Amino acid sequence: MPAPHASPRGSFLLRPGEWALVAAILLAIALTTIVDANHSYWFRPLESLRDIARNTALLGIFALGATVVIIAGGIDLSAGSMIALSGTICATTMLALKPAEMIGFKPVGPAAVAAGCAASLLAGFLVGTLHTWLITAVRLPPFIATLATLVGLRSLARALCESTTAALTPTKNALVNVSDPFFKAVRDNVWIPVAVFAVLAVATWLVLTRTVLGRHLQALGGNEQAARLAGIRTDNVKWFAYCFGAMTASLAGLFYVANESVAQPALQGRGHELNAIAAAVVGGCSLAGGVGTVPGTVLGAIFLRVVIDAVSKIIKTGADVYEGLIVGVVVVIAVTFAQVGQIARGGRRLLPGALGLCAIPTLALLAGAIVAMTAGPRAGLAAGLAAVVLLGMLRLWESRTAA
Amino acid sequence: MHRPEGSTTADAAAPAVSMRGITKRFPGVVALEDVTIEVRAGELHAICGENGAGKSTLMKILSGVYQPDDGELAIGGRPVRFAGTRDAERAGVAIIHQELALVEDLSVAANVFLGREKRGPLGLLDDRGMQVECGRLLESLECHVPPGTRTGSLRVGDQQLVEIAKALSLDASIVVMDEPTSALTEAESARLERTIHRLLARGTTILYISHKMDEVFRLADRITVLRDGRHVCTVDRAATSPRQVTGWMVGRDVADHDGGRGRTRGDRLLEVRDLTLPWPEHPRGYRLADVSLDLHAGEILGVAGLMGAGRTELLETIFGAAEPTWTGVIRLDGRPVRFHHPREACAARIAMVTEDRKRLGLFPDLDVAGNVSLCSLRDALEGGLLSRRREEELVAAPIRDTGVKTPGPHAAITGLSGGNQQKCIIGRWLLTRPRVLLLDDPTRGIDVGAKAELYALIDRLCRDGLGVILTSSELPELLALADRIVVLAEGRLTAEFARAEATEERIMQAATGG
Repeated sequence: MPAPHASPRGSFLLRPGEWALVAAILLAIALTTIVDANHSYWFRPLESLRDIARNTALLGIFALGATVVIIAGGIDLSAGSMIALSGTICATTMLALKPAEMIGFKPVGPAAVAAGCAASLLAGFLVGTLHTWLITAVRLPPFIATLATLVGLRSLARALCESTTAALTPTKNALVNVSDPFFKAVRDNVWIPVAVFAVLAVATWLVLTRTVLGRHLQALGGNEQAARLAGIRTDNVKWFAYCFGAMTASLAGLFYVANESVAQPALQGRGHELNAIAAAVVGGCSLAGGVGTVPGTVLGAIFLRVVIDAVSKIIKTGADVYEGLIVGVVVVIAVTFAQVGQIARGGRRLLPGALGLCAIPTLALLAGAIVAMTAGPRAGLAAGLAAVVLLGMLRLWESRTAA
Repeated sequence: MHRPEGSTTADAAAPAVSMRGITKRFPGVVALEDVTIEVRAGELHAICGENGAGKSTLMKILSGVYQPDDGELAIGGRPVRFAGTRDAERAGVAIIHQELALVEDLSVAANVFLGREKRGPLGLLDDRGMQVECGRLLESLECHVPPGTRTGSLRVGDQQLVEIAKALSLDASIVVMDEPTSALTEAESARLERTIHRLLARGTTILYISHKMDEVFRLADRITVLRDGRHVCTVDRAATSPRQVTGWMVGRDVADHDGGRGRTRGDRLLEVRDLTLPWPEHPRGYRLADVSLDLHAGEILGVAGLMGAGRTELLETIFGAAEPTWTGVIRLDGRPVRFHHPREACAARIAMVTEDRKRLGLFPDLDVAGNVSLCSLRDALEGGLLSRRREEELVAAPIRDTGVKTPGPHAAITGLSGGNQQKCIIGRWLLTRPRVLLLDDPTRGIDVGAKAELYALIDRLCRDGLGVILTSSELPELLALADRIVVLAEGRLTAEFARAEATEERIMQAATGG
């Protein structure tokens, strides 16, 4: 018998889990302000804000796409490769239209820029269509279909980049420099991606909560067969979801090109699909489909970027080294946190049996290693020992209450 | 039937199962409150109650799935505390769940010994030993499937016997059966009854949950009635009547439904001629063959047939939900129609309430209003956007007309009882203002009180001029509701009866091809 829960549409503000995310974001910012030896949040707040805002907007744009796909009961693993393909298509289109200007690092003009961007978004639509065709007509599971494009599209982007540069420039090249003032302006004005993200978020929120299509997306994700039997054209709804997912990744790809002034298909967006899925999951999406909100994903993206920024500020290394570790830990903690009530009621044990016993040194080793690498071996040892003691106490408490 | 003294029983005079003061709370609900039941060794003890009365929760406590918040449980006079189903199995309690808990991709033998696999001398699986023993168990249950068969390829009735074989292999002295016949054909039910008698003869104690009064009164030694999580009474079968037990279950007297009188038949709405639906991967070659029928406005047409006879396929073909490979003619108002998607059928004002509510009808993540408004969201738009207020107004009428009991339009649909969920789904389709309503076994798994309400609702809709095609796995239901009954047997239409001519015997004869 499931617990009767309040309707998600019952409140105009955020859900409890989303308020908890807001609190977690504020806590992370406060901690960083205090712990960071340079106190950069305190002394240079605008600079830090700009950094986080840019990164959040870039992640958030295609995390919204991932959210829609996940709510519709699917998964899109290909976003990172779509970002690379989108950037490459934009750059090579401009290269094909204005080869002399592109090679000479000169402005290519608004028409070429518009053509490049339009070509990228069209590629997003085509990839979304391909996904939907593979899933609904060929009947591949979404995981397999988008896994195929995850590996395939990046390769395609690299091939496209090399063959276009071989044909249009003196040498074959694995990247295309983009130095049009339009892209420079986007790079230098962080509020452009932020504004695009905000508009897109509001539009997505409206679609999901206030349109027939949004309701059909939820119904599709909640119970696909029932949705079809209720007269919903489920294939068309999926088509929208996967196109939206791929096109938001295309849009993000354009911003990555602007940010780095280069289209570099081998590296751009690599692994980012998982960050987008992570932001959605931290924000409360269920991978089973049917459940998720736009405010949740927005907060999830902000939280991920704030924590990544906090860690890079505090331990003063490149953020990208620890990014994967942070995302992984945050996802596990966030999803565990959502079940904390059930665990506290004694409904479930976190450290049961022999598995629990083995999990204690595993977790302690992980914690110790992370702390040792960031704060020195002595602190690492202390953290590891502390973890053993705390987890041991949890284990004892659990077996006491279960008996 | 007397239980031979088993070596595991602590005390011959002690009840096989004794549950005292059992209380179980879920967040927001008290599922069981102070329930006390004693089950004598070797008896078949029926547990009756409406959905949500707490029958399944009580049985899950007995079999270790749930732990009670309060109360004591004793097996054979010994107090026990089960931390999980393993503990219960060790104490000799096995449960056959309503939703079968088999791993479809494993063989029958692997399922029977799942978690207790036999091993050979090297610690490797002893597949042959398991298959031999499994085969022996199945034979004793009149189940003639090879133990190496993939479980998912078996019919539901055989899968159920596999569950029973599992219980037997555990040497269970107490077997709980949760609505075992809800998905069985008559023949399979009869076979199950013979198995039950065999188990009882071996001295097994059986707790039997069922809605079906005829079964309960044929099988049970004693009957316990639960209502709203409380124990109402426990009586000897001989000392009561089905009418009385039903009354205890719903807390009031239920009159037998006798609708259908005085309905007037209108124009012909739907005409099906020589409908054939191929089934290439099956030796029979077709799911439906040469089916012809008519449906008039203001009429309920009953479709009888055993499981697999093609009832659902017939409705799905009309509704455009089947494979579009069918041949024949379907005419709506005299015009030939061929729907390729349920959407087109909706547009032609045909509605279908599907079998298997949970799998094919319900959206657990949408609230009550969302479930009801789903097919008519366009009527809840205001300036192109969904309006919460208009949606509430839209669903208010069907919720009221179908008599859904819900705390409000934004309550979780999963919190409602099966009967109320079904009313929500009927309400969803009423909003589309249908002219033809296809009801596929609409009262399956719904308690007696809600059934009577649904019958009245269907009768009222029909009097309002809808044409209704109704299938049911319960013949008395068809006999009570339908104006005419057609019978399907293995995809063919074998008989048609007017209300006055139809009897259970004649229908069964036509359905079994006799």
